[in-house]
Amino acid sequence: MPVSYDHKAANALEIQGVGRRFGGFWAVKDVSLTVRPGERRAVLGPNGAGKTTLFNVLTGDLVTSAGTIRMDGADVTQMPMHKRIKGGLRRTYQHAHLFNGLTVRDSLFLSVCGVAGGWQRFMPLRLNDGAVAKAETLAQLSGLSAELDREVANLSHGQRRQLEIGMALAENPKMLLLDEPAAGLSPSERPRLAELLLSLPKHITIILIEHDMDIALKTSDSVSVLHNGQLLAEGTPENIMSNEAVHKVYMGGAHGH
Amino acid sequence: MRTAFYLLPLAMAPLFANDFWLVQILGRALSLGVIALSLTFLAAYLGVVSFAQTTMAGVAGYTVAYFGPNTVDVGYELPFYVILPLAMIMATLSGALIGLIARRSQGIYAIMITLAIAVAFFYFTRQNYSVFNGWTGFSGLRAPDIAGINLRAPVPFYLLCLGVAALSLVLVNGFIKSPLGLTIQAVRDEPKRVLAIGIPTTPVIVAAYAFAGFIAGSGGILNIWLQERISSFSVGLGPIVDILVIAVIGGLKHPIGAFIGAIAFVLLDTFAVDFIDRERFNTLIGLVLLAIIMGAPDGLHGLAKSWLSRSAKRPAKIKT
Repeated sequence: MPVSYDHKAANALEIQGVGRRFGGFWAVKDVSLTVRPGERRAVLGPNGAGKTTLFNVLTGDLVTSAGTIRMDGADVTQMPMHKRIKGGLRRTYQHAHLFNGLTVRDSLFLSVCGVAGGWQRFMPLRLNDGAVAKAETLAQLSGLSAELDREVANLSHGQRRQLEIGMALAENPKMLLLDEPAAGLSPSERPRLAELLLSLPKHITIILIEHDMDIALKTSDSVSVLHNGQLLAEGTPENIMSNEAVHKVYMGGAHGH
Repeated sequence: MRTAFYLLPLAMAPLFANDFWLVQILGRALSLGVIALSLTFLAAYLGVVSFAQTTMAGVAGYTVAYFGPNTVDVGYELPFYVILPLAMIMATLSGALIGLIARRSQGIYAIMITLAIAVAFFYFTRQNYSVFNGWTGFSGLRAPDIAGINLRAPVPFYLLCLGVAALSLVLVNGFIKSPLGLTIQAVRDEPKRVLAIGIPTTPVIVAAYAFAGFIAGSGGILNIWLQERISSFSVGLGPIVDILVIAVIGGLKHPIGAFIGAIAFVLLDTFAVDFIDRERFNTLIGLVLLAIIMGAPDGLHGLAKSWLSRSAKRPAKIKT
């Protein structure tokens, strides 16, 4: 077989005609996107636009109803979620799905083991285990060093969001999907989150759903706007801010935040 | 520290308890407790109530019966050092298989599917004669002599039960702190997120059931050495419900609950006949269960714990 140069391989994410149907309703329909490695992309759109569904399809939480998803040039459309994670993809959830019965340390530890391997070990841990040290580094990165031994169920809302991000940063992710990381944060916590996002290594591709315009536009270099499950507009933050159609469906129509 | 608190009086029991108490009360309670522990383990750390623990115990029991000395002329006789590991492997595999079948089920559905498996196994043992010897089952099952110690004698048998019970508790407590044990608890809390950190959930669930099968199997072996027989009745609905009742009475939140429940159950089972008719035992245990569920949902262990913490926290009189 002749080896051909695949120019698509250069893209961190390339999706073509992706759709997800629930019964007769297309929550996401015919969405095509290209994201370059290291790009910071914000996904905007009013409630019900299909942003989270798009994320669920990208990670494999939901099966794709139509279209293809390529990550790093490889077709992952049929790949189970945990294998996509091993390939460098990470995500956070809008409503924190965390291990409430475990401590912060154990949650971060498992996130490291999930990618690096070693979760299958059934002997009690040695204290000098490498994954534990990595978990402690993650805690430092996400500002949870003081909470390492706390049970996740007892964390504050803001700390839960920090843990979400800490878990997603385990083992050098290539691409991060952040689903409303600022949701429910107090105004004083928000700048800290923006700072954390901006401090992430530049080679990580980040796709961000965020209702907080301040955070979304400050941390991203391009924006995609979804409306009724379809791609409405794409461009730089400045372009999007001045886009008529976007103003109509989103900026103008967004109440209550 | 706390383990020693439970263990010390039990280890000293041979000094003051007679053979009946050693074997029929304490030995029986400990062997039932080990089987119930496997249920408590799944309930507390995987979040699943399994009705198939008696089945896993039965698989180990039947393996020992088939390959060991018995008086019904079925099976082969192998040395005990082959039989015992084989029985444990079979129980572990049966746990893994049941886990594989039940892996997607939670709550009431997990109860239904494990119950279905358990009842199917019961009817299978009753109808199959070549391996399970049908209705009659196996009798004349005798514990071996190991290293010159006759395990059929009351004191060695009791100490064996105590050793296995303590070891299985230590095993559970160590296992839940291992990476795999933590992953099992993570699956209990958020299976979706387990996938999102790159861990497939099926092998985790299967491993939890397999571990429960290993624990149940060790209790199952003790149980047939105590009874000296096994038949379809040993894996029927009665024993299945007994194990569940033991686990619930003791408390499903902590491994030690299984043993507290087992001792309470065996005491009731043995001495209730002195006060009520034998036929009324199910009524009595039903009432006890009802009282526990309504008055102390975390079982006797939960009840004791809340009493202890309440008396510890009782504030000193405040001077005004």
